Amino acid sequence: MVRLTIDNHEIEVAPGATLLDAAEQLGIDIPTLCYLKGYKPSTSCLVCMVKDCQTGRLVPACATPAVDGMTIESESEELALVRRTALELLLSDHAGDCLAPCYFACPAHMDIPRMLHQIGEQSIRDAIATIKKDIALPAVLGRICSKPCEKGCRRGAADGPAAICELKRFVADADLASADPYAPDCQPPTGKRVAIIGAGPTGLAAAYELAQAGHACMLFDDQPKPGGRLRTEFHGQDLPEDVLDAEIHQILRLGIDLRSNCQIGAITLDSSLSALMPLDDMHPKFRLHAKHGSTCNDLSGAFDAVLVAWGATDPKQVERRGFQATQRGLAIDQNTYVTNRPGIFAAGNAVRGSGLVVRSVADGKEAAQSMIDYLAGRPIRNHGRIFSSRMGRLSPEEMADVLSRASSAARSEPDCGAAFQLDAATEQANRCLSCGCIAHNHCKLERYARIYGADPRRFGVQRPAHRVIGRGGSVLFEPGKCIKCELCVQIAEQAGEPLGLTFVGRGFDVRLQVPFDGSLDDALTQVAAACIAACPTAALTFAHQHRNPELVTLKTE
Amino acid sequence: MPMPDLDLSFVDQTVADIGRGPETVIPILQAIQDHYRYLPREALERICELTEITPASITGVSTFFTHFRHEPVGQHIIHVCNGTACHVKGAERILDALAHHLRLGPGEDTSADGQFTVQEVACVGCCTLAPLFQIENATFGRLTPQTVPAALDAFRHQQDSSQKRPSRAVITPNGATGEIRVGLGSCCMAQGSGQVHDAIERVLSKSGAPAVVKQVGCVGMCHQTPLVELIQSDGQSSLYCHVKPDDAEGIVLAHFRPRNLARRARYAVSRLLDRLHSNEWNGASIAAASTVHESPICAFLGPQKRLATEYCGQIDPLDLDEYLRHDGFVALKQCLSDSSPEKIVDAIRQSGLRGRGGAGFPTHIKWETVRNARQPTKYLICNGDEGDPGAFMDRMILESYPYRVIEGMAIAALAVGASEGIFYIRAEYPLAVQRIREAIRRCDQRKILENGTSGRDFRFHLSVQEGAGAFICGEETALMHSIEGRRGTARLRPPYPAECGLWQRPTLINNVETFALVPWILRHGADQFAALGTDRSKGTKVFALAGKIARGGLIEVPMGVTLREIVEQIGGGIAGGRRFKAVQVGGPSGGCVPAELADTPIDYEALSQVGAIMGSGGLVVLDDSDCMVDIARYFLRFTQNQSCGKCTFCRIGTKRMLEIMDRICTGRGHQDDIQKLEQLAHQVSAGSLCGLGKTAPNPVLSTIRYFRDEYEEHLNGRCPAGKCKDLIAYRVNTRCIGCTLCSQHCPADAIPMTPYRRHVIDLEKCTRCDTCRQICPMDAIQIGPIG
Repeated sequence: MVRLTIDNHEIEVAPGATLLDAAEQLGIDIPTLCYLKGYKPSTSCLVCMVKDCQTGRLVPACATPAVDGMTIESESEELALVRRTALELLLSDHAGDCLAPCYFACPAHMDIPRMLHQIGEQSIRDAIATIKKDIALPAVLGRICSKPCEKGCRRGAADGPAAICELKRFVADADLASADPYAPDCQPPTGKRVAIIGAGPTGLAAAYELAQAGHACMLFDDQPKPGGRLRTEFHGQDLPEDVLDAEIHQILRLGIDLRSNCQIGAITLDSSLSALMPLDDMHPKFRLHAKHGSTCNDLSGAFDAVLVAWGATDPKQVERRGFQATQRGLAIDQNTYVTNRPGIFAAGNAVRGSGLVVRSVADGKEAAQSMIDYLAGRPIRNHGRIFSSRMGRLSPEEMADVLSRASSAARSEPDCGAAFQLDAATEQANRCLSCGCIAHNHCKLERYARIYGADPRRFGVQRPAHRVIGRGGSVLFEPGKCIKCELCVQIAEQAGEPLGLTFVGRGFDVRLQVPFDGSLDDALTQVAAACIAACPTAALTFAHQHRNPELVTLKTE
Repeated sequence: MPMPDLDLSFVDQTVADIGRGPETVIPILQAIQDHYRYLPREALERICELTEITPASITGVSTFFTHFRHEPVGQHIIHVCNGTACHVKGAERILDALAHHLRLGPGEDTSADGQFTVQEVACVGCCTLAPLFQIENATFGRLTPQTVPAALDAFRHQQDSSQKRPSRAVITPNGATGEIRVGLGSCCMAQGSGQVHDAIERVLSKSGAPAVVKQVGCVGMCHQTPLVELIQSDGQSSLYCHVKPDDAEGIVLAHFRPRNLARRARYAVSRLLDRLHSNEWNGASIAAASTVHESPICAFLGPQKRLATEYCGQIDPLDLDEYLRHDGFVALKQCLSDSSPEKIVDAIRQSGLRGRGGAGFPTHIKWETVRNARQPTKYLICNGDEGDPGAFMDRMILESYPYRVIEGMAIAALAVGASEGIFYIRAEYPLAVQRIREAIRRCDQRKILENGTSGRDFRFHLSVQEGAGAFICGEETALMHSIEGRRGTARLRPPYPAECGLWQRPTLINNVETFALVPWILRHGADQFAALGTDRSKGTKVFALAGKIARGGLIEVPMGVTLREIVEQIGGGIAGGRRFKAVQVGGPSGGCVPAELADTPIDYEALSQVGAIMGSGGLVVLDDSDCMVDIARYFLRFTQNQSCGKCTFCRIGTKRMLEIMDRICTGRGHQDDIQKLEQLAHQVSAGSLCGLGKTAPNPVLSTIRYFRDEYEEHLNGRCPAGKCKDLIAYRVNTRCIGCTLCSQHCPADAIPMTPYRRHVIDLEKCTRCDTCRQICPMDAIQIGPIG
């Protein structure tokens, strides 16, 4: 047996075992892209680098045999930097969008391609679930939104963007009109209580998110009816009151305790309550001093967290209430929505002063996600920022290629005030170019880029061309997504594929190819599925997976 | 375009000759390309039908190596050398001139008449002739953009007359009293020593002068070629430099006077003396005749010590008897008769010999490991894939001392217990390949590598494998992949080849020079070898000295000699009176040692301390007209181009580094680019799998270390050395007399003709080809910053 130490843990492994095997036995997760059990390590990606402390050298864990007496380090700043650089180098030579441009254009980061695909499949129930995952007020926004998503739509550069906003409204209206409108599943009650001050778009969106997480929400508003600026800034024909009422009702029915006509006087830390709480509960407890109608009452309930969503407020008044202010409103940490008072969060126009309604809805959701982290005792993550490789503008050839796989219908919208019919909606939804990557959330490159905080634009160079090889066949290859891991080459070779795959050229220009100009279907007669499952990115895919993103199989680990 | 009626019978014949195993792919492809001049698709498919070679393998391998061409080419390929020496001496301008002369459009490489295809090659190892190109077997050196058309004409002329040329007569004169040695290394041949040799033979046969003409290997003094040495019967020796065929008669008759031709001789001698008195030094006539004890030849030879290159310029490379007379195979015989393998390895250990291929790994450890390996089959490989631009030591040793390398290998084989040896020689060295093949044949014929003389059972089989144009194959794991018929990608070590190498067997891989030193060590004793050199670097090292030096050539010096001694004493200092700026040591894996540190000794550790490496032994001397940023970019471009493409850091990292270097050299650099470059360089070095990637950043890091100010100047839009085309402008100063020469020669029509008036260069049209500056008789063209 071979004895070695990894991250100060001793381990014994069989002779011939690699450092990766040894780490696995210890439960230490070392990132790998090009490695697959059962195949010869190709040591090409080099994100599995670990440090041999005796020689001071970095070695690939996947292929380095464990040697008696070795001392290995698997996590350090130095290793993180090298791994991040390896990932950034791979991303600098990558042509693909993990997430579609519309994802980033929409402040709420709604999964628009998925929604459009579901509409295209006429699965309205699935579509509303996709929408409501990120947008609490789709019927409202479907009417009043200034549609940043459509400005970001890639098809806008060709023959007009997909009619995203109208289609969202179509789904939301159909849902509200149905006998059993969609309601998300809520987690069992956590016992935690949250106060949300302001029932405008921010507060409503936050309440919707927090309720789903099982937190008890009390929503305070100084007006008789919830909706905040939605009731003052928009008028009847743009936003009929019954639509607003119906959509708010869908939120409140998740069990949200609405306190209308309430003026919040002060939020104080309740030390007496804190003292009574169990020791393991680290959160401060808040008491709200609210004036209800003409009477002033000290709200007896104690809260574990508070969200300030009271809309645009004079900074002086903000300071008077005990918060740090900016010129526009409350000062918060941009990443976490935390104010200068721990446990109190702020979002929407209370912070921004003014902004799009969809921005407020997005803020409410993200602030709520931060609060969920906070209430769970986790470090608060930045929920607004998500890693993605991005292709940016397409060349005319690239555009022609992506247009060829979507409906060629022209953009059309229903006449003023009217709504889509199902057939028209389906046709318009099928205009979506399905820009995001079908391996999103299944791609190893994306996963580790996210973990190591890789910046795809570190080198600021021109990305490779986006091309798809094999159109018309069952297997597709996107050279721009290939990281030259060699797995498919090895799998085909081991299986004795008559044609198989090979690398051609060398150095930076090395690329995967089918010998003698064969097609991918000729190359992979037996092992296409294995190659596609092994592909660490989505360089190799089945054509049918693109027609149904749900079909993306899990990658082999 | 596929040819419908391509005759594939040659493919069938080749497969029948070479074999059907997957490992035969490279030799088969080489044969196919030799025959069809490229690799026709039908031929490749036919190979797959006939052999075990798969379509994936043949496609992968044939596109990996740059020698293989998948498209038909022009009738003659012009290989333009882009080695370091050629680069600093203006290879780019030669390329421009060729493109201009052959009227090649952008992206085109073949002339419209299908006569010539222009191809850049990494380095042909004739650095003292830089800049140069090769067409077929002819080398045209010391070119300028103006001489390019003449070189092509000369080649065409040579083609026309080649049929008429008489075959070389073998002369065995009676009662010869002297010997005339003509160096016939690649460099010498390129300078016309073949013709000189023929001319001397003609003179001898016509005059009956009492001497024999003899071809010897590289003389080392490449700056003086063609070089003829005459040894008279009393042992006195005279050396003639820059000899032309027309000079042959005079030289021969001056020393070997045929009795019956006295009058003619007297005449000839007086003619020769006249010429000597006129003291022309331009190669148009005999430059100098001097004894070897006179300077500057004396100085050139002075601090040198010849072990690997013993009997330099004295013995006929292929004359086995002569090698035997010069103690050849004595060491092998000793080893066979009274030395155990342990004792041989021990001698190597005591000698302190370290690998001469670059990294300086102790040779005896490799030998010991292979010797101790239990597998019955072991291999021996001589790594002659000398790919560093600016290095030609291995070529010269292989060409000039084939038997010495063979003997070293045979001793190693005996020591480690191997019976199969392979020479891996890069295909850019056809003469080396040819001589090694012939030397092996002669050894086999005489059963030198079999145990005939003593009681030990020893039989050593040698073969030659030619490289196919991939620098990475100098890396031992890539080299073995290529012998096995695979793409020449490097792999992780361990396992080291000594444990698990070629065909998974223990394999001893040493460099050419390492093997060449072995016979000397065993003949003279390890102590004598260890007495030379420094504490940790023993013996001698062969260097290819080139660049901006007065006397370039192939030198062998004891370790410990300083760079300054090499540059100043042996090399005679900087040519053309310019200022010594730096020495590039170790090629693309090495670094630039600035003139201030020229007292650094030749020593593995000392060189690595100053950011260079011993490398395989290229020394390119740079003067103040060389831009260090440009030099760094040159090397980085080389390694980036030669990366096998396997691992991320090397494949993409070197590319990203090069993009930053390109930005800097073209005045588009960002203020933080130096820092970015340094960061990325360190990560590429730490993260790469093999030596190529690990050392690729060295030229960049060492130039940033010593010449950071030059990088900063570039960021501010200036190239202080006036080298980077995008940062300089050519202007005409007041010395111009309006002679119109520049205007007549400008290939870009950038200088309007204004007779008797000062000319003006149109900077928009100017391609910075330097033609005007070189042609101007008044030194009126000057290079300055843009704007």
